[in-house]
Amino acid sequence: MDRRTVLKGLAGASGLALTGGLSAPAIAQGAAARTLRFVPQANLANFDPIWGTQYVVRNAAAMVWDTLYGVDSSLQPQRQMVESEEVTDDGMTWTFKLRSGLKFHDGEPVLSKDVVASLTRWSARDPMGLMIKALQQELTAVDDRTFKLVLKQPFPKLLYALGKNNSPCAFIMPERIAQTDPFKQITDYVGSGPMKFAKGEWVPGAKAVFEKFADYAPRQEKSSWLAGGKQMLVDRIEWVVMPDPATAAAALQNGEIDWWENPIADLVPVLKKNKNISVDIGDPLGNVGSFRMNFLYPPFNDVRARRAVLMALSQEDYMRAIVGDDTALWRPLPGYFTPDTPLYTEVGGEILKGKRDLDAAKKLLAESGYSGQPVTCLVAQDQPITKAMGDVTADLLKKLGMNVDFVATDWGTVGSRRAQKTPPGQGGWNMFHTWHAGADCINPAPYTAIRANGDKAWFGWPTSAGTEKEVTSWFEAKNLDEEKATINRLNKAAMDDVVYAPTGFFLSYTAWRKNVSGITKGPLPFFWGVSKSA
Amino acid sequence: MLSYILRRIVATLPVMAIVALFVFSLLYIAPGDPAVVIAGDQASPEDVERIRQSLGLDRPFLIQFGSWVWRILHGDLGTSIFTNLPVSTMIGQRLGPTLSLMIVTLLLTIVVAVPLGVVAAWKAGSLIDRVIMGFAVFGFSLPVFVVGYMLAYIFALELEWLPVQGYTPLAQGFWPWLENLILPAVALGCVYIALIARITRATMLEVLQQDYIRTARAKGLGQGGILFVHALKNAAVPIVTVIGIGIALLIGGAVVTESVFAIPGLGRLTIDAILRRDYPVIQGIVLLFSFVYVLVNLMIDVIYTLVDPRIRY
Repeated sequence: MDRRTVLKGLAGASGLALTGGLSAPAIAQGAAARTLRFVPQANLANFDPIWGTQYVVRNAAAMVWDTLYGVDSSLQPQRQMVESEEVTDDGMTWTFKLRSGLKFHDGEPVLSKDVVASLTRWSARDPMGLMIKALQQELTAVDDRTFKLVLKQPFPKLLYALGKNNSPCAFIMPERIAQTDPFKQITDYVGSGPMKFAKGEWVPGAKAVFEKFADYAPRQEKSSWLAGGKQMLVDRIEWVVMPDPATAAAALQNGEIDWWENPIADLVPVLKKNKNISVDIGDPLGNVGSFRMNFLYPPFNDVRARRAVLMALSQEDYMRAIVGDDTALWRPLPGYFTPDTPLYTEVGGEILKGKRDLDAAKKLLAESGYSGQPVTCLVAQDQPITKAMGDVTADLLKKLGMNVDFVATDWGTVGSRRAQKTPPGQGGWNMFHTWHAGADCINPAPYTAIRANGDKAWFGWPTSAGTEKEVTSWFEAKNLDEEKATINRLNKAAMDDVVYAPTGFFLSYTAWRKNVSGITKGPLPFFWGVSKSA
Repeated sequence: MLSYILRRIVATLPVMAIVALFVFSLLYIAPGDPAVVIAGDQASPEDVERIRQSLGLDRPFLIQFGSWVWRILHGDLGTSIFTNLPVSTMIGQRLGPTLSLMIVTLLLTIVVAVPLGVVAAWKAGSLIDRVIMGFAVFGFSLPVFVVGYMLAYIFALELEWLPVQGYTPLAQGFWPWLENLILPAVALGCVYIALIARITRATMLEVLQQDYIRTARAKGLGQGGILFVHALKNAAVPIVTVIGIGIALLIGGAVVTESVFAIPGLGRLTIDAILRRDYPVIQGIVLLFSFVYVLVNLMIDVIYTLVDPRIRY
């Protein structure tokens, strides 16, 4: 073997690896204006919206799969794939008829059997779906376009459940795909939505591509969130995953991308100065910051210790730590439900209002019997929101005289450790931080975090009989007035028992190039109605 | 030589086996649970448990390890827990960008660093030497991401000469491929240019003191011939060693560079897999990297024989 042989071999091997299997479609110059390049909030690591409940999966899935109903911007479910529905006077038998002309991306018609299989799979994973499943007596296809749902008792929130935008949505898939075990991923991504998923171009962690579905039959109504006519004005949408916000900001300024879903607050001033970029609030439903205390072990098994923390907690400190000094991005939240939505209430939230009373909080903490034992506080450092909140909480607890065991870790570890019910010194915990999408906090249906049924509740396992009673009442409420009255009582009960500590309500921006138009505010990026000029 | 290479390749097998056991054990005892990540923030403990069962994560360690090793022996690196794609496919998708970045960085490093080191040794103690060594200190001191942001700001945002981010396969043209790699390669290469320039200078200084260099000068050989033909060739062994180590280090540096320049390479795949606890992907990548390390060392040993005929195995 001589030097030349070695060099030739290396060059050959390199060239093979560089050119093979990596081809991506070249986009013609003229097609650039028909291609929208979008930076999503996170990596599209899987593409099964029932199996994987991450928001980013839901956001992509909303283009590819359609729903029977769609919730509009007034949070009301509107017909989407459904043409009409009938319900018996007792509210227990629903008969639905599908619109004619609906087709899947493989050219097959959408039939009732597809709906039955899809709803069956969805109802195994979705909290509202599980409730429907528990009440379900029969779900059958009557003919190709008609299907029937018979319940054991009325479920007034049925249409909302079928059209909600909370993950997992009730997406309709072909029967052969929907028959997949709900705890296993699908591998075929055929839907009937306005865009097709280009599976061959998918590079998880880097890129996902969606192409316009020519045979999609949009409704005639104006689009509003998941409802109305989903008119696609671009032919191709490329999702480009960018883990580094500074890179995404530079790429947007440079015109290499068209729309960045959620720029971080620190970079927004730079983007606002650029004359080619528009910046606005993306999701008016925002997010609710939270930390949860473990009801199983001292000190937070005593409601006085939980209340003491709430008495001393300054939501402004938390919000400024998360979003900085932009006051347009946050507001205090003396309650559990999303501001500016029909059920928002502050009843019972007095404990979070007004000047913070540290002395009274210390006194109440002492009454709870707290005597200096370590308080294990889990803080994920790789999530800017939880890191910011964790630092504020550590300071708060120290001011209260608590002995803080600050566990700085990553989100994956928090996710695993928070499920441990063992005592804090043996792998368990006393508190952890998280946040909830405001869209999940508009009512109790998708709001797992508000549930307080002890062992069956979300991490922290809160017990609050008053809260649970009102959750049940809300599901039975017949109109908005009844719902509001129920939520007032629910909010008070949850605040009294401190189901969790809300740290405030915060919003985030979205940013796009000015040659892009039609972007609307909503809980997810809606691509219908969005166009791009050259 | 061939039998030596074969012996070395066979010797990698126990190394790979130990790496495999180590990686699997480490991931098994590491905190975190992919089922929790998959289930999402609103999932119940029952959902999480069911997902764990469906992934086989509830099975005993030895059974999981045995099953994994069996698949590896059959050439199957497994399937990603999150994407449901074969790990080999995912690695294949990401190999090109990382390999491209490493090749361009390595070429840039050698082309720039070796002449700089030679010139610094030739002009030892002069202003040129000090400037070059000053640059080397600068290169060592600046983190890759700082250099990356600076380059992107100047050459992409201000001058608009090069793109900020992304990767274009070579199949779509040489310039589109190269223009995406210039800034990342410079950012990543800075530290290696500094390292190799310093090593080259130190080695060349030693060689330039040898008798045969004096003889070459006495025979009237030109400065270029002395430096690049006689001196550099004899200084090549330590330089090649450092370049080899540099290749291994480039893999680590690529993680940051790929994130800063949004290059869809193996570095980003690694980070994503670790954060999500995507065990099969982590295991596959670590096995690949350890194989590359072993292979690079083997290549360096072979190159020794090419640059120094006295070395025989």
